[in-house]
Amino acid sequence: MGLIGLLTVALIVLVIVAAGIGQLHIPPAEIIGSIMHRLGLDLGPMPHHPQGDNALWKVRFPRVALAVLVGASLATAGALMQGVFGNPLAEPSVVGVSSGAAVGASLVIVTGVTFLGNWTIAVAAFITGLGTTLLVHSLSRASGRTEVVTLVLTGIAVNSLAFTLISFATFIANTSAREQLVFWQLGSLNGATWPAVTAVLPFTLVGLIASVALARRLDLLSLGDRSAGHLGVDVERLRLTVIVVVALLVGASVAFSGIIGFVGLVVPHLIRMIAGPGHRLLLPASALGGAVLVIVADLLARTLIRNADLPIGMITSLVGAPFFFWLLRRTRTRQGGWG
Amino acid sequence: MRRQIPARLPIGTTIAEAREVSLELGGTPILDGVSLSVRTGEVLALVGPNGAGKSTLLSVLSGDHAPDRGEVFLGGEPLPHWSPVETAMRRAVMLQQATISFPFSVADIVAMGRSPWYGTPRAEDDENAVRAALETADITEFRERVFSSLSGGERARVSLARALAQEAQLLFLDEPTAALDLHHQEAVLQLARESAAADDAVVVVVHDLNLAAGYADRVAVLSHGKIVADGNPRNVLTAELLTEVYRHPVEVWPHPATGAPVILPRR
Repeated sequence: MGLIGLLTVALIVLVIVAAGIGQLHIPPAEIIGSIMHRLGLDLGPMPHHPQGDNALWKVRFPRVALAVLVGASLATAGALMQGVFGNPLAEPSVVGVSSGAAVGASLVIVTGVTFLGNWTIAVAAFITGLGTTLLVHSLSRASGRTEVVTLVLTGIAVNSLAFTLISFATFIANTSAREQLVFWQLGSLNGATWPAVTAVLPFTLVGLIASVALARRLDLLSLGDRSAGHLGVDVERLRLTVIVVVALLVGASVAFSGIIGFVGLVVPHLIRMIAGPGHRLLLPASALGGAVLVIVADLLARTLIRNADLPIGMITSLVGAPFFFWLLRRTRTRQGGWG
Repeated sequence: MRRQIPARLPIGTTIAEAREVSLELGGTPILDGVSLSVRTGEVLALVGPNGAGKSTLLSVLSGDHAPDRGEVFLGGEPLPHWSPVETAMRRAVMLQQATISFPFSVADIVAMGRSPWYGTPRAEDDENAVRAALETADITEFRERVFSSLSGGERARVSLARALAQEAQLLFLDEPTAALDLHHQEAVLQLARESAAADDAVVVVVHDLNLAAGYADRVAVLSHGKIVADGNPRNVLTAELLTEVYRHPVEVWPHPATGAPVILPRR
């Protein structure tokens, strides 16, 4: 459990550091002091800048909190998908689950419906994300296996269909909704607010708890459907449960931050290289690692260029796309072809 | 969840049974009215030519395929009576081909065989069962190695160890010896004999008729989805029957020392 401890410490340090960096610099001691004061403890210094406390609680903390939730959700969803597809290349943005969830979210943004209040976007993203995951799952499996080439081609087809629908939503949108959609499509934590965080939180929590409960059975599933069944796994039920959990996690992360690609590919892969393939460690460690990665990526997105908030999806793809290509080549070599 | 830990059945009890089972796959009839009972304390060999339905019969008995007609029983109850975990507590399966999607170690894979007992009092035996299974399958020396780095024969022994670690009273082995050298072939069948002597029931699909003749208490011969003979190897494995079933002249002699049938195709 050293890895979990290490990642937890890294996450806490990064949360404090990231919250202090920006146009208005706030040193870590003042951040801890500000948190202590909110908790009713008169410990540590308060931010000396008059706007410091305000900037922390109105802008920085919700943004960092959303980064944590989105990163944990995406990395866990990636690890779950790889387990259920039995394929290290399965990932929400690669196979089109993220863009599928984005279809529901963009339709809600464009039409402005709010039938479930604060949760409307997240629920819509969950529903279309679920539909997409079910579709990809049924299309990419042949006789109990998912070949790499089938998975990647299915991803291309599903992604292009989803982007057609998103384009349509962008086309019918009015000017302000269109601007919102364009930036959101590129992936950004710019719109992070406390209501967004509270809308995402329950989805992420339920998803993470469920993933840990599924871990043991996912280990068995890597033996193949038949052998897993012989060891007492209800394979069909497990697959369906994992698909719903993936849709929950992806829906939650896409709803307010758009499509942030490759987090679910890079993080579980690195964790597997360090800690081995067992899901009982892989899933919680991926959640922490994903949170760390997205905090760092978001920090880069908003500080690389002065006074500019770059799309975070651009940053993760810059790292993730070459990584994906490397992994694709390696899997191909190992399997001796495109099978 | 209702989870009844099975009591061990006494020797000679019918632990699994197929009654008038028929199954079509993709429009082709594979099994045609097959009835077979499996008893504790017995090694039962399923033999027959390619495509006769041996592996399919095994998969119907183990619950992978529901038959189109007929019924399958396990531990005195129809198979659907049990939950997947309850079924796994009663029977273990070793498949012909084992694959794994992630780089688990041999020890991890064998330990997966213990999963039906997770959360039950028998989980206390996990460590001993895994160690014993590794030793029995002769793979203790590469317990830390990654499955994908093993040869075909070594992989087969890992799958066998996983099935053994499950400690079910009924063991299905689907061509366990196909990838093995002579020593390990004999060792696997010897192991089947020892398990049967400890009141387990072992059903093994083999192509090598001499292995069946030398180790099985009972042999069932399948041909075109039907059981054409079922009984003591000396009575069942005759030149006449084998010549007809395999469509190749076959000679059978009694072994000078043991009297077990020795089978050779005429060359």
